[in-house]
Amino acid sequence: MTLFAISMALLVLGGVAAIARSRHPASGERWFRLLFGAGCVIGAVPALAVLGGASVPEARLASTGPFGAWVFGLDPLSAVFLLAILTVGAACGFYGIASLAHERGHRAVGAAHLLLALLVAALALVVAARAAMPFLIAWEGMAVLAYLLVVFEHERAAVRRAGMIYLVATHTGTLLLFALFAVWAAGSGDLTFAALAAHPPFSAGRGGTIVALALVAFGLKAGIVPFHFWLPEAHAAAPAHVSALMSGVVIKTGIYGLLRAVALFGPPPPWWGWLVLALGAASAVLGVVWALAQHDIKRLLAFHSVENIGIILLGLGAGALGMAYGHPLIAVLGFAGAALHTLNHALFKSLLFLGAGSVIHATGTRDIERLGGLARRMPMTAATFLVGSAAIVGLPPLNGFVSEWVVYQALLRGGSASDAMQLAVVGAAVLALVGALALACFVKVVGVLYLGSPRDAGAVAAREPVRGMIRPLVGLAAACVAIGLLPIVVVPPVLRVGSVVAGPGSGTVLPGDAGAGAATLFSVALVASLVVAWTLRRAFGRRQPALAGPTWACGYALPSTRMAYTASSFAAPLLGAFRSVAGVRTDRTASRFATHAIDPVLDRVILPAWRGVRAAATGLRAIHRGGLSRYLVYVVAAVVTVLLYLLAAAGTP
Amino acid sequence: MTPAGWTALLILGVAAPVMPGLVVKTKSLLTGRRGAPVLQLYADLWKLVRKGTVYSRTTTWVFRAAPVVVLASLFVAMLFLPLDGRGAPAGFAGDVVAFAGLLALARFALVLAGMDTGSSFEGMGASREVTIASFAEPALFLCFVALVLATDALSLSGMLGTPLAAAWPQAGASLSLVGIGLFVLLLAENSRVPVDDPATHLELTMIHEVIVLDHSGPDLALILYGSALKLTVFAVLVVSVFVPRADLSGPAAVAVLLAGLGAVAVAIGVVESIMARLRLTRVPQLLVGAAALALFAIILQLQ
Amino acid sequence: MHGAPQLVLLLVVLSDLAVLGTTRLSSCIRIVAAQGMLLGLLPLLLAPQLSVHTVSLAAGTVVVKAIVLPWFLMWAIREAAVRREVEPLVGFIASQLLGAVAVALAFAIASRLPLPVVQHALLVPVSLATLMIGFIVLTTRRKALTQVVGYLILENGIYLFGLTHAERVPFLIEIGVLLDIFVGVFIMGIVVFHINREFDSLDATRLRELAD
Repeated sequence: MTLFAISMALLVLGGVAAIARSRHPASGERWFRLLFGAGCVIGAVPALAVLGGASVPEARLASTGPFGAWVFGLDPLSAVFLLAILTVGAACGFYGIASLAHERGHRAVGAAHLLLALLVAALALVVAARAAMPFLIAWEGMAVLAYLLVVFEHERAAVRRAGMIYLVATHTGTLLLFALFAVWAAGSGDLTFAALAAHPPFSAGRGGTIVALALVAFGLKAGIVPFHFWLPEAHAAAPAHVSALMSGVVIKTGIYGLLRAVALFGPPPPWWGWLVLALGAASAVLGVVWALAQHDIKRLLAFHSVENIGIILLGLGAGALGMAYGHPLIAVLGFAGAALHTLNHALFKSLLFLGAGSVIHATGTRDIERLGGLARRMPMTAATFLVGSAAIVGLPPLNGFVSEWVVYQALLRGGSASDAMQLAVVGAAVLALVGALALACFVKVVGVLYLGSPRDAGAVAAREPVRGMIRPLVGLAAACVAIGLLPIVVVPPVLRVGSVVAGPGSGTVLPGDAGAGAATLFSVALVASLVVAWTLRRAFGRRQPALAGPTWACGYALPSTRMAYTASSFAAPLLGAFRSVAGVRTDRTASRFATHAIDPVLDRVILPAWRGVRAAATGLRAIHRGGLSRYLVYVVAAVVTVLLYLLAAAGTP
Repeated sequence: MTPAGWTALLILGVAAPVMPGLVVKTKSLLTGRRGAPVLQLYADLWKLVRKGTVYSRTTTWVFRAAPVVVLASLFVAMLFLPLDGRGAPAGFAGDVVAFAGLLALARFALVLAGMDTGSSFEGMGASREVTIASFAEPALFLCFVALVLATDALSLSGMLGTPLAAAWPQAGASLSLVGIGLFVLLLAENSRVPVDDPATHLELTMIHEVIVLDHSGPDLALILYGSALKLTVFAVLVVSVFVPRADLSGPAAVAVLLAGLGAVAVAIGVVESIMARLRLTRVPQLLVGAAALALFAIILQLQ
Repeated sequence: MHGAPQLVLLLVVLSDLAVLGTTRLSSCIRIVAAQGMLLGLLPLLLAPQLSVHTVSLAAGTVVVKAIVLPWFLMWAIREAAVRREVEPLVGFIASQLLGAVAVALAFAIASRLPLPVVQHALLVPVSLATLMIGFIVLTTRRKALTQVVGYLILENGIYLFGLTHAERVPFLIEIGVLLDIFVGVFIMGIVVFHINREFDSLDATRLRELAD
């Protein structure tokens, strides 16, 4: 834990350095880069060690207040999240330095770097906390820091609105967390996780309340449907590197919370597992359908986060069911799949958000209908974005495939069970539907954004950004490829994570590496096959030179870029098939076809409810006129009511 | 994997272009024409590999990589099939995901190449292809799930190999439904009537053909050969489900497989001769029907 | 002996699902006719030995369900000149999925029903599934004729359930039931015919206009 503490200190110091030298921003940023980067690297060392099988002693601060000691520790579950936080944090931090450089004159760029560093530290503390108090403090710090970063461009009304929605959502979640810990501890006064695990809720009959509270509180943070409404708003409003960090790791703390809660309270009831599985299926399918309807690149990516949270929940649900029905192997695989997909999603989603940031930076628009042909103008950004897209779709041999394969395995293994667990196999079909829809969506994004020809002057003028905005992308893409090529290296550690969650004794049930060795061979075979096919193609091509010509427009002589297929048209057949849930408004005239997305949950449920609350509050204001006599009457009335109640209570024996 | 299996792999690799030829021949004979020779595709491939290539000025490396990716992923996908009816050259727990992933990879590459040309026709084809795939993929997995339930195996090698033969007596009804579902998927995934018409000559109505409009020369050859491989792969799935061959000797199993592939090709030809193409908006319905069949197969086994 | 009824029952479920996915009224009716034929075969296949009772039940079923009623419905669509079910209240994809769910539900319920051992394990779930799908067709389609088809499927489900007690149900009741639907469908057909003449449409939702 010493290394962890040093890392935290370096992160904070780096942030302070960025703001301390505000007169010389360039030098402040150099210090920030150095200290922040060192903090991330040093913090990753114990995380990797723990994932490799080492154990790290807990750090214990004696209690100064109520609620027990403050404990921090690292186990494989914390470590895998810590690794994601630090990797993505470093990439986003470095990207932020380069992407905010041109704003130095008119914005508090140093403050943004400080906030980011603090946010990364808060995230790390959330996953390292082993007691409710530091957990809640870090959690709340994370929420507030993320809010401040979201409203970085606060002069835009849409940003302020998104920030407010986010703040309300996250505070509701925190409030529920307070309730969760209060109910769980039930007045015992000791809120360390060890103490909480010592009296598992199911013995006391409060199990149902606690698991339900955990699902809603952490679900709000993770963006599970129907609690996702804040997510696309906030992620679209924030600067690119903040969106990347939020989508990549901040929402994952919700998943961490769920996994940690399961690890602490032991086998959950079956209904909870089914509920998680159902919510996962709903989030995954609806997330990707809603994403298909978006034409704002950042909102689209944000909805894909909802989808991927759904995939993670499918793994988590399978794991919970495995625990509930007593199939430790399924439990370990399910949780391991969830953990690995969390890490992978952190990598490729931050990669995609940063890539989208570069595009917005270069072209000045987020509307994909106005872009096109960027692969020729921004080759590195395009190539890394393509890697990220293939990874998020779950194509071999990339990392998304590996984690989805583990989740699939958990679901399919349910088929061999002889109890109700069998039904979980149908989840595999849901996952397949989601994968195919995600493929459609990312073909749309990559095709319309990077391929074809530019649709607008902004896209014509686009140029590759500075190197500082490319290197983080390359690093993240390399990580995606590495995990995809070497399942044998990553799967055994995450199986360890899975067995931490699934409880003691579950680590012994695995047959070796769950097929990771063979999967590695498969990845290698695929790469080899690609090389062979490439050689074959080269051999054929030698005879004749390749010529260049215009695209065949089926005989039409004057094709123009206005005729290129648009994203609206591309997604239309699928959205038509899903029209009952897609929440799409179609705008169709003789020469124009466009679709507009609305969020069914936010626009039809939350905002009306919010307006209702506000109307009620306005109504309450009527009794709030300011005259002193009036208030005195209220006081007397209140006292009389209490007295009457007490009398009545005393009267009933 | 027996020597017979390896031989079968080799035979299928070489003979895959016969499959489309058989389909076309059947169709021609049924409609009273003589039709192209069964080996026509070989002549086409030979002609194409000797030709030069023309690349659109709009395209990037994505366009050039696509044929290679398509071919490579189908090669690897073949390795997961137990051609001798016992076991496959490669297999691991959950390799169905890898198998489906490879098909998805091929599709991803091909469709992106279509988008890369910037042509609205190819964009339209791409959109249709991914739409149809979105409905075909869950149906395919429902078929796999039914096989998992029948055989308790997690790899294609097991699902279609020795355990399948043991499962037929109890789960025959369910497995026949799976086989029918897979045949429908074969038609949809390989752009056959009633989903797509490979013989159409109007770009607006094409799906698969329009995506590869701009590919030429050796690139087109690789794609055509890849399509033949894909058809063969799906036909192997159908034959393996209907005719478990674990009890036969190796060479006999391979011979039965080859006969079965021929039968599937003829069946496709018959379907193409007697059915009209479905309206595009009705295609998802056909695939949902296939998914419903597979779901019913699953329900029968959950009993 | 065990395989044949199973095959027939599976085909019954498949014909149910097929009705849900068909747009053409004439195909719907043909499928229902085929279903009637299958239902007629069932008593013969299920009975331990042939008796006058089973043979006449089978013959009656085939005549009424597979020949007379479909013929009558065909006549009705010819007279009313309706071909297709357009714009059902629930889309075809959704209703097919709904049908799949209904089948799953039927099997789940059937395995929990406290029933005595019946001739064939699939009989009860298939009858429940047919009942539910008939109900889905009845409620989600607009055209009065498709609703009649739904009613027929619903009745087929009841008939299947009746088969579990075929040995105990007196012959007369069976005949009575057959007569009932026959008359029912006949009346519906005539009503349909007149609705069509009155409104130039078979949209059953327009029947509300009669309320005034």
